[in-house]
Amino acid sequence: MSIIATQQLSKRYGRRMGLDAADLHVGEGEIFGFLGANGAGKTTAIRLLLGFLRPSHGRATIFGLDCWRDSARIKRDVGYLPGDLRLYPWLTAQRALRIVGRVRGLDLRAAGAELAKRFQLETDLRVRRMSRGTRQKLGLIMALAHKPRLLVLDEPTSGLDPVMQGILASYLRELASAGHTVFFSSHTLREVETLCDRVAVVRQGRVIADETLQALRSRARRTVELVFADEAAATGAAMPEFLHVRHREGHRVHCELEGPAAPLVRWAAQQPLTDVTISPPDLETLFRKFYDVSLDEV
Amino acid sequence: MRGLLTKTLYEIWLPTLLYGLGLLVVKMILTYILPQIHEALGEVLHRLPFAKTFLTILLGNTLGAEISARSMQAFLYVHPVVLALVWAHAVTLCTRVPAAEIDRGTIDVLLSLPVSRRAVYACETIVWLVSGVLVLVMGLAGHLIAAPRMPDELRPELPRILLVMANLYAVYVAVGGIALFVSALSDHRGRAVGVVFAILLASFLLNFIANFWEPARQIAFLGILEYYRPAQTLQHGGFPLRDVTVLIGVGLVTWLAGGEILARRSITTV
Repeated sequence: MSIIATQQLSKRYGRRMGLDAADLHVGEGEIFGFLGANGAGKTTAIRLLLGFLRPSHGRATIFGLDCWRDSARIKRDVGYLPGDLRLYPWLTAQRALRIVGRVRGLDLRAAGAELAKRFQLETDLRVRRMSRGTRQKLGLIMALAHKPRLLVLDEPTSGLDPVMQGILASYLRELASAGHTVFFSSHTLREVETLCDRVAVVRQGRVIADETLQALRSRARRTVELVFADEAAATGAAMPEFLHVRHREGHRVHCELEGPAAPLVRWAAQQPLTDVTISPPDLETLFRKFYDVSLDEV
Repeated sequence: MRGLLTKTLYEIWLPTLLYGLGLLVVKMILTYILPQIHEALGEVLHRLPFAKTFLTILLGNTLGAEISARSMQAFLYVHPVVLALVWAHAVTLCTRVPAAEIDRGTIDVLLSLPVSRRAVYACETIVWLVSGVLVLVMGLAGHLIAAPRMPDELRPELPRILLVMANLYAVYVAVGGIALFVSALSDHRGRAVGVVFAILLASFLLNFIANFWEPARQIAFLGILEYYRPAQTLQHGGFPLRDVTVLIGVGLVTWLAGGEILARRSITTV
């Protein structure tokens, strides 16, 4: 069963489409990355899932329940960290855990204290005295303390230092391996690449890709540098169709490889080459193309 | 609900205490200086007959040639500072959800909790209604503290004071209901507060103009102060049932409308 499922989910803001006919399915125990540039529609999708926004068209469900009608029931088992986190200035971690615990009917003090220790947060510090990163830690603790079945994180690493980012990543992996589902939005490829099993990319409100990272890697082009014995060999070599020549420098040819590396290796073995360099799959370039609104085809 | 109430109480205890203390002090001062005002007012009315119309509007009762001690007692409940404090408390509390929460961006955290919007609204309503009683009681305490210094003929009887306070509480409910309704439609607290105060000002002006201008008299029933006449209540006794019913009715209808709007609207913080 899908933990999250959307069918043709759309949200219109006046004449602008915030989200356009999105079909998403996120399974149990998955870490799902939701990528897109600023303003692409990531937060709109999350707000629709949490029942903050009423869909203009289509439907979204979490645990099989309607996100708009059954929002309060759904949120018993959901932890949410907003992208632009704002907290009450009088709040401390202790107060937050007491209030959230009372609302949820749970005693969150022990779990909260453990998380506070892990994220190195002083539990009696008021929000008005906290730095942005510290507020982010408190937001994470509030979202995580009840060990939700589904965790929705909207750009959770913003404001966190690299050490904390690492701690969060390992905690999310632990959660996922225990069967919890993580829906993770980001505009940074690197954090999604290291964490997620599957990625959807949203651009101008439309989901333009929804694939496993492995599939994306196989689609991503690799940079290949071919070093021929001499310039004449380099000029005379007939390039196969999976290699796209970018530029030539004497006896060196810089290409882009489309598809797997095996055919290249077989082809290279028959060429008068002195060296071959194949880079790892270039996801960065692939995602840049996803983000670039001027490109219609990727 | 207990968790939500705790969160709301953290936020409103200080403003409620300040409004209550403000009303306590103002009522003490007004009670203390009422005899002096009574003495000076006769001369003012003689020199400025126009002031009599203004006082009639303010007190909600026609004044005779001389202002009576009973009418004078009503000053304690119609003084602009008293009304401003009571209204401001209602508006402060009733524009918190959703307008203020959206405005400062904390609505995301609030609505991420497993509570329905109706539960959030109900919690705000309980706190608003209960804290309103506290503020009015603190005002009454201010009056009672200073009352022993008043001459007997100027000192209102407690049962009649309670009748006026019931009427004032009904005004508080009507103003709060309107504020909740406006807040439910708004994403900015400043705008919501501005709209509510504009409505109250218009209501006040309508009440004033209706005394001079026939067309305004036709629609005077739309003004809130049309249903708040403490001088009459203090003079004749008797529960102002019609006035209280209208005010509570306004409060109830706008409260219900506000709740429905909040439950059905989309919430965006950007």
